[in-house]
Amino acid sequence: MKKFVGALAASALAAAAWAAPVQAAEVRIGYSIAKTGLFAPAAPSQINAYNLWAEQVNARGGLDLGGKEKRKIELIQYDDQSNPGNAVKIYEKLITQDKVDLLLSPWGTPHHFAIASVLERHKFPMIGSTASSVQLRNMKPGNIWFTTAAVADKLATAMVGLLQSAGVKSVAILTNQLPFGQENKKFLMPALKAAGIEVLVDADYPPNIKDMTAILVKVKAAKPDGVIGLAYPGDSILYINKAREVGIAAKFQYLLVGPAIGFFRGMFKGAADGIVTLGHWSPHGDDARSKAFYAAYKKKFKQEPDYLDSVEAWVSVEILEQAVAKAGLDKDKLRQAISTGTFDTIIGKVRFDGVQNAVTPTGFLQIQKGELHVVWPKDRQTAPLAPKTGWK
Amino acid sequence: MRFATPRETVPLLLVAAIAAILPLLGSDYYLGVGFALFGWIALAQSWTIVSGLAGYISLGHVVFAGIGGYVLVLTWGAVPVWAGAVLGALAAGLFALLVGLPVLRVRGPYFVILTFGLAEFAKYVVINIENALGRFGRLILGGPPVETLYWAMAAAALAGTLAVIVTRRVRLGAGLAAVREDELAAETIGVPTVRFKLLAFALSAVLPGFVGALFVLRTGYFEPAQAFDPVISFTIVTMAIIGGSEDARGPVFGALFLVVLSELLWSNFPQVYMIILGALLIGFVLFAPNGVAGLLDRRRPSGGARAAA
Repeated sequence: MKKFVGALAASALAAAAWAAPVQAAEVRIGYSIAKTGLFAPAAPSQINAYNLWAEQVNARGGLDLGGKEKRKIELIQYDDQSNPGNAVKIYEKLITQDKVDLLLSPWGTPHHFAIASVLERHKFPMIGSTASSVQLRNMKPGNIWFTTAAVADKLATAMVGLLQSAGVKSVAILTNQLPFGQENKKFLMPALKAAGIEVLVDADYPPNIKDMTAILVKVKAAKPDGVIGLAYPGDSILYINKAREVGIAAKFQYLLVGPAIGFFRGMFKGAADGIVTLGHWSPHGDDARSKAFYAAYKKKFKQEPDYLDSVEAWVSVEILEQAVAKAGLDKDKLRQAISTGTFDTIIGKVRFDGVQNAVTPTGFLQIQKGELHVVWPKDRQTAPLAPKTGWK
Repeated sequence: MRFATPRETVPLLLVAAIAAILPLLGSDYYLGVGFALFGWIALAQSWTIVSGLAGYISLGHVVFAGIGGYVLVLTWGAVPVWAGAVLGALAAGLFALLVGLPVLRVRGPYFVILTFGLAEFAKYVVINIENALGRFGRLILGGPPVETLYWAMAAAALAGTLAVIVTRRVRLGAGLAAVREDELAAETIGVPTVRFKLLAFALSAVLPGFVGALFVLRTGYFEPAQAFDPVISFTIVTMAIIGGSEDARGPVFGALFLVVLSELLWSNFPQVYMIILGALLIGFVLFAPNGVAGLLDRRRPSGGARAAA
């Protein structure tokens, strides 16, 4: 029996070797993501984008490798349990054990930072997606790139521009204690001061806050023109619920992360109308690439993409696909292609300067009649900013 | 001095053998797995000193690792890396000495809750300090390579194993066992319970401080919510339960079992491994309540009986 199996295996191998030139092996592309743990709710937006991309590329006959051949994509995915230490281990495994051809990025800033040294050590280029921090500029360029246009210092400048254009003279700032919120606040405070915008309430709250009523009562009493909630998805939801209950009447209301996720608008219907959030992409302009992505995503997953995370993930694979089409799978050529190329993406042209996206301007979205529109910067608007009018 | 018994030599040799073999496989991945394994062994051994020997079940041991990691990032650039890790260990020990007196006054479930609360409290204090300083996660660039971290962590695992073995042999260990069985009686016969408990608490904190510093070096990024993640505390207790003995074997078996199992599962069944792992753990608690060590002792009843005596 053993002999028979051995013979069978040998003949299968021989057959495979013979067949190889006709049907090349798949391009193996690996990544880790938070399927469980603290960040698990955020991950599907990114996983969906990756899966949609692989499906579309395979339907087109495969990934174009330097114009020489096309090979189908096989995605290899692991769960990092929201733990950056696990991500480090997984990317080491992907590179040294699974011997993947390409890597996609994990979810979140800490995970991107954690695996940067692994990429550097193995000289393996990877395009980042859902990460943002001013600290990314300290990273050594060469094997990691960040697509984000939402770095905190640029966000502060853009926010002041948006506030001034909306005639906001005073604000309340509510800040989640997680790093991204704090980083935003650090740059926002001096920018507001320089612009003469008064901060009437300044409150920090813990990441797992369960009740915001006390803070919001204070906000209501202060009657600011604007509320800036440097929030994450969980507390963004809490804010809408409580602000509606308390009756916050500010004409400008901003929530950092959350409203761009598909379920958010469905959850609140009209009450979320007028809320401004972070983002620089909308399918409601006239960009054909964006419309195609939006339609395909909605068709496949029966929900809207996350205007932030799905979009960043999609942009990262658009860039990867174009770079691989030019350079093939050779790491040095690929690195060169990504570093020097200009790429067509759903957020427009993207080019990297060091590790950073050098082109895409920082932007903001607003929910208007259940749709998310780009309201800033003005030259990218799909709709002008409208004041928030009550909580229908 | 008594000769080393199998239950003392087995865990030591096991850790040393694994440490020697893994680098031969010549892959960063195996070094990474070894790093994690040794980290857990060091944590679980440290935990055993206060929770296994003295019976004070700590559900907040992550606090020491978090402090170690925090001290490392605070001293980053100011002192050499190794000194930062050692300072982290010392700071964790000092913290244990400071909070030990009030904390160790309560027993049983109250101690469990108190240690858990203390770790959460420390987490939020650090979060607030960082925010007041205007820091939002600290990036550490240019830390030591994975080989260096691997050997440092292997040394920590050996040190932890040795610490449990030695503690059990000396007066302190006997005193802690007396405290565990009946603290009042121990005090009556002249065991300096307060001093012993405090010493055990501090001892059990030093190594986690070091391990926490290495954890931060491994990811190159410090964020309080992750450095003080309560899941780390829970995992330590889980490993101790699975290991199933209050000598130095338990933590080694428990960590080895859980790390190897979860490693095999996630790399082979990435989509469902959590479900399989959960089912296996439930089965384990149901059918092998005395853990891996209990299973081994049952195989060799003579050894188990002698050890129990």
